[in-house]
Amino acid sequence: MTQNNPMVSVKNLSHVYMQGTPLQHRALDEVNLEVAEGECLAIIGHTGSGKSTLIQHFNGLIRPQSGSVIINGLDVSQPKLDIRTLRRQVGLVFQNPEDQLFEKLVGDDVAYGPFKMGLPLEEVRRRVHWAMELVGLSFQEMKDRPTFALSGGQKRKVALAGVLSLQPKVLVLDEPTAGLDPRSRKELLERIRTLNREEKLTVIFVSHNMEEVAQLADRVYVMANGKAVLDGTPRQIFGNQELLREHHIGTPESVHILYRLREEGYEIDPGAYLPEETALEILKLIKR
Amino acid sequence: MSAEFELTRNITIGQYLPTGSVVHRLDPRFKLAAFVVMILAIAICNTYVGNLFALAVCIWMFSVSKIPLHYGISGIKPAVPFIIILAIMQLLFYGEIANGGTIYLKYGFITISSESIRLVVVSAMRFVDVIFLSSVLTLSTSTTELTHGMERLLGPLEKVKFPVHAFALIITIAIRFVPTFAMEMEKMMKAQASRGADFGTGEWWRIVRRTKDMFPIIIPLFNVALARAEDLILAMEARCYVPGASRTRFAHYKASSKDYLALLFSIVISVIMLGIPF
Repeated sequence: MTQNNPMVSVKNLSHVYMQGTPLQHRALDEVNLEVAEGECLAIIGHTGSGKSTLIQHFNGLIRPQSGSVIINGLDVSQPKLDIRTLRRQVGLVFQNPEDQLFEKLVGDDVAYGPFKMGLPLEEVRRRVHWAMELVGLSFQEMKDRPTFALSGGQKRKVALAGVLSLQPKVLVLDEPTAGLDPRSRKELLERIRTLNREEKLTVIFVSHNMEEVAQLADRVYVMANGKAVLDGTPRQIFGNQELLREHHIGTPESVHILYRLREEGYEIDPGAYLPEETALEILKLIKR
Repeated sequence: MSAEFELTRNITIGQYLPTGSVVHRLDPRFKLAAFVVMILAIAICNTYVGNLFALAVCIWMFSVSKIPLHYGISGIKPAVPFIIILAIMQLLFYGEIANGGTIYLKYGFITISSESIRLVVVSAMRFVDVIFLSSVLTLSTSTTELTHGMERLLGPLEKVKFPVHAFALIITIAIRFVPTFAMEMEKMMKAQASRGADFGTGEWWRIVRRTKDMFPIIIPLFNVALARAEDLILAMEARCYVPGASRTRFAHYKASSKDYLALLFSIVISVIMLGIPF
């Protein structure tokens, strides 16, 4: 990991939607962000805070209107940039990605991206195998299943595999677990964690679920009205009640318990945001 | 370049521009009737001067309703190739039928006469007139008003068992979902582009390939549309919608002298248009 060359570097990025019409709307306002290789960043913020606009810049779906976005040395504002090179580096998984499946069979759908890259059949097959196993779908068992007979959670995994088969360096996810049942949610989170920790992918995800943020993120980036208002580790952010109140940030259940205990006059470290840590803190109180 | 996926911006159907002008405030029933009269007149009128007159009236109506003319012109742009193709077809193949007047050229089956040229010019002008007129109508009337007006105007047809209400409902729903599906499509295009799809980069003559490029958008879009339709059915039934049941109305319209004047105006314009001999 080189500190000087971040994987994602956003500088003074601004974006205005529907420019030149009465409906124009400033979605991003002088945003700055750096993400190091291998980091797992959570972007949080209320609806309309500019999260989606920001992440669409990462693979060039939106080009910078002003400011710059540089991904692993590729300058997204460069009109000459081969956009497909960029999109191979950055895999973007949209909200409800299961909507995007269109092939009859699971394997074919996962293979769409690699085929579009013009890879030889053997390589495509290898990648589909790799991507499917990575998201927890058995290649042998699932590749010939019809896409539309799958459950919601399985469809989402297929969609995720469809992006992973491009073998990106950065994985960007927009509310990856929204609308999933608790079990699929937990499994998907574990898959994403594996991708980040073992496959060394840089992961950037948008979420409204603070438990998820606490579990996964190395760093939390809070947006409001197109601006970045906070940027820090979960410990720094969840451990500071004033900041949380000021920016209307929800907290994981564990942090909520810690603050309640502190309000009751117990001496406790509110930075112990992980459930296990919270439990230890409470144990300490009981033993005292 | 940054606007390559901003589909919602390009959709003018159902776009309403509230400027609060006289035209906006007309009773939708009368407004609709007046427009129908004028469109009929345009369809019948086949003289140069009559159509020029209609064009002038249309442009004047933009200024009365305080709508910038470029909204009308942007409505014509997508129709231009169609108008041109139609004009060429008429010029080449209609000479035999519209063969009055002076014949300028006769070569095989191609006959070009003053009458066929008139036909070509007049139909192109009709197109422009109709697009202008309907732009003024949709830009100055909200879709709710429009469907209400239509439902009321078609009301008498209920006597011959024509499902007027259902018809109006279908149109309301169709218009309501245009922006929704545009957004869905935008999302789908972005999602597939993120997986390496590219749209509109193939050479234009490779129609099969370019059509195939659209499958990853069209198939999911159909899926989403069907799912939305089912949701809509449930939502309507949950609110006790029964097809064909008699229902009261929320919006009541009361015609004023202004509305009668507007209708009268459209009739006068039509008579003038049809009365002009050239």
